[in-house]
Amino acid sequence: MIVAGIQPDAEFVHWWFATGFLVLALLLYAEILVGPEVWARRPWRRYLWPGTLFLMGLLMWPVMTFFTNSMIHMVAHGSWAQALMVAGGAELGLVRGKLHSQWWRLTSFVGLLVSGTALLVHEQNGWTFARAAFLHHAIGWLVIGASVFPLLQAFRPRSVVAASGFATTFAVMAVLLFCDRDVAPVFGHLSTYAGVPHR
Amino acid sequence: MRRALLVAALTALALPASAFAHATLRHETPGFRQELASSPRQIVLRFDEPVYALPHAIKVLLPNGKDVITRDAVALKSARELVVAVPRLAKGAYTVRWEALSADGHVVSGVYTFGVRVRAPLVTDAVGAQGPTRTEDLVRWLYFAGLALAIGGIGFRLLVVRGPLGAAANGRFFRVVGAGIVLVLEAGIAGFLLRGEDALQLPFSRLLYGDLSPLAGGTRYGQAFIVLELAFALVSALIYLAWLLDRDAFLWAAFGIGIVFVAGLSLSGHSAAGPGDSKWSELADWVHLAAAVLWVGGVVQLALVVWPGAPELRRLAFVRFSRLAVVLVSLLVAAGTYLGILRLPRAHDLWTTGYGHDLLVKIGLVCLALAWGAAHHFLAVPRLDREAVAGRLGRTLVGESAVAIAVLLAAAILTDSKPPPQPGPVKAPTAAAVHR
Repeated sequence: MIVAGIQPDAEFVHWWFATGFLVLALLLYAEILVGPEVWARRPWRRYLWPGTLFLMGLLMWPVMTFFTNSMIHMVAHGSWAQALMVAGGAELGLVRGKLHSQWWRLTSFVGLLVSGTALLVHEQNGWTFARAAFLHHAIGWLVIGASVFPLLQAFRPRSVVAASGFATTFAVMAVLLFCDRDVAPVFGHLSTYAGVPHR
Repeated sequence: MRRALLVAALTALALPASAFAHATLRHETPGFRQELASSPRQIVLRFDEPVYALPHAIKVLLPNGKDVITRDAVALKSARELVVAVPRLAKGAYTVRWEALSADGHVVSGVYTFGVRVRAPLVTDAVGAQGPTRTEDLVRWLYFAGLALAIGGIGFRLLVVRGPLGAAANGRFFRVVGAGIVLVLEAGIAGFLLRGEDALQLPFSRLLYGDLSPLAGGTRYGQAFIVLELAFALVSALIYLAWLLDRDAFLWAAFGIGIVFVAGLSLSGHSAAGPGDSKWSELADWVHLAAAVLWVGGVVQLALVVWPGAPELRRLAFVRFSRLAVVLVSLLVAAGTYLGILRLPRAHDLWTTGYGHDLLVKIGLVCLALAWGAAHHFLAVPRLDREAVAGRLGRTLVGESAVAIAVLLAAAILTDSKPPPQPGPVKAPTAAAVHR
C-alpha cells in the first residue's frame, strides 16, 4: 500500500509537533519577557506565534489523512487540525486588523476545549494503564484546564498571568509529547524492570 | 497522596508497551487484494507492536458469509504476529475480518479481501458491506454543494467580477466561500468514515478503533480521499490568506488547485472503475463536474453576494455570467450526454433500471434550471435597468440557486449508484451484493 510505504513512525510525528509547540511556547515567553510594546516594534514579530499555530494546523491534515489505523485517530487529528487553524487564523486576523473584537480570542479557548475533549475521548483506559494512557489523560486535562487562560485573555488582554499560563501550556504539552514512546528523548525507557525498550 | 500520584505517574511512564497509536497491521499474508494461484495454508497478520490474540480473532468469509475457520485456531506466532491455519480454499473471493487486543488495551479491528484464482473484490465490496446508503448520498451532496460554493464562488469572483468588491460584498463573498470549503472538508471526512463503517461492519464502540488503512491505501476512493482532503485543506489556507492579506493571487492559487482536484471525484467514481471506462471518460467526468461547480457556484454568488451586497455590479456581473454560463452549460450537457451514453448504452436502461430513473430525475432538474437560466438570459437581461425587475431578479436567482443545488443532490445519488452492467464483458467477481 502506498500510504504505508511513506508513513513515518507515529512517535516521530509526535516529536515534530512537540518541537512546534516548544517553538510556540518560546515565542510567547519572549513576548511576555520583553513586553507587548517592545515585541510589536517589529510588526512581523506579532505574526510569529499565530502564524506558527496556523501552520501547525495545516500540517496536521497529512497526519489525519495518512494515519488511518483507527477511526478515532482520524477524527481526533482532524479536530486538532481545525482547532489549530481556527485559533491561529483568528489571532492572525486580530493582529492584521481584519478582526476587531477581543471576543475572537475565545477561539483559542474553544480550540483548547475541543482538543482536550478529543484527547480524553480518544483514550478509554485509566491513567496508569500504560504510558500512552497516562499521556493522553495528562495532555487532555492539561489542555482543558489551560483553556481558562485564553478565556481570561479575552477579558483581560494585558494580564501577564493569563499570557504566562497560555505559554506554559504549550511548553508542558511539548514536554509530554516528547515523552511519547519509551525511546523518547525525554523520560524515555526509565527502568530495566519495565522490560526491553519497545521500539 | 502526592507521593502516590508521583509514583503512579512514573510507573505509567516507565511502562514499555505504550504509544500514542494503537497496534497497526503492517503486513498480511495473503496480501491485501492479492490474487493467489492456489489456496493459502494460513493467514498471518503482522503488527507494528505486540498484540494479544482474542477468540475468533480471524474470520475468513465466503461470499455467502460462512466462515471457513471452523474451530478457534488463532494463535500468536510471535508477540506481533497472529496466525490461523485455513482449510483448502476453492476458487473464489474471500473476506478476512480480524481483531486483536492492542498493547494499550484497545481492540483493533480490520477487514481485507483476497482471491484464489480470481481477482479480489474491493474492500468496500467485502462480505457484509451493504454499499452506499442514503446518508452517504446526503454527505456526497453536501460535498458537491461545498465545492460549488467554494470553487465555483472563487471562479465567479475571478472570471466574472474580475476586480475588487465593496466591503459588504467582500465579507459576504468570503463567508460563502469559507462555508463552502469547510463543508468540503467535513463532508469528505464524513463520507470516508461512513464508507469505512460499511466495510468494517462493527458496533460503534469497536468501530472507533477500526483499521481504515485498507480503505485509505487500497481503494481508489481512499486514495482520492487522501489527495482531496490535503488539496482542499491547502485551498482553505489559501482562501484564508486571500482574506487576511487582500491578495487575489492567493485566490488564483486556490482556484487553480480546486478546479484541478474537482476531478478527484472521478478517481473514485464510475469513470475510473467501471468496465469500458477510459481516460476520455475521466476527462468527461472532470469537465462535467468542473462546469457544474462553476455554474452553480456562479448562480449562488449572484444571488447571495452581488445582488444584496453590490448593487452597482449587478448588471455587469449578470451579463458577464450569462455569457460564461452558455459555455459552461454547453460543456456540461456535452460531457453529460457522452457519459450517459457510456453508462447506459441501451436506451431502455433509462426507464428499466434504478440508475436510469435517477438519471431521468437529474435530467429533469437540469432542464428546469436551464429553462430558468434561459428566462433570466432572454427576458431579464434586456430589462435590468428597471428597478422593479432588478428587485424581483434577486428573488428568482435564489430560486434558480435552489434548483441548481437540487441538481447536485441528483448528481450525488448517481455518483454513489452503480450503472447497469455493460453488455458483453465478463463481470469482475464481488464478494458482496450491491443493494441498489
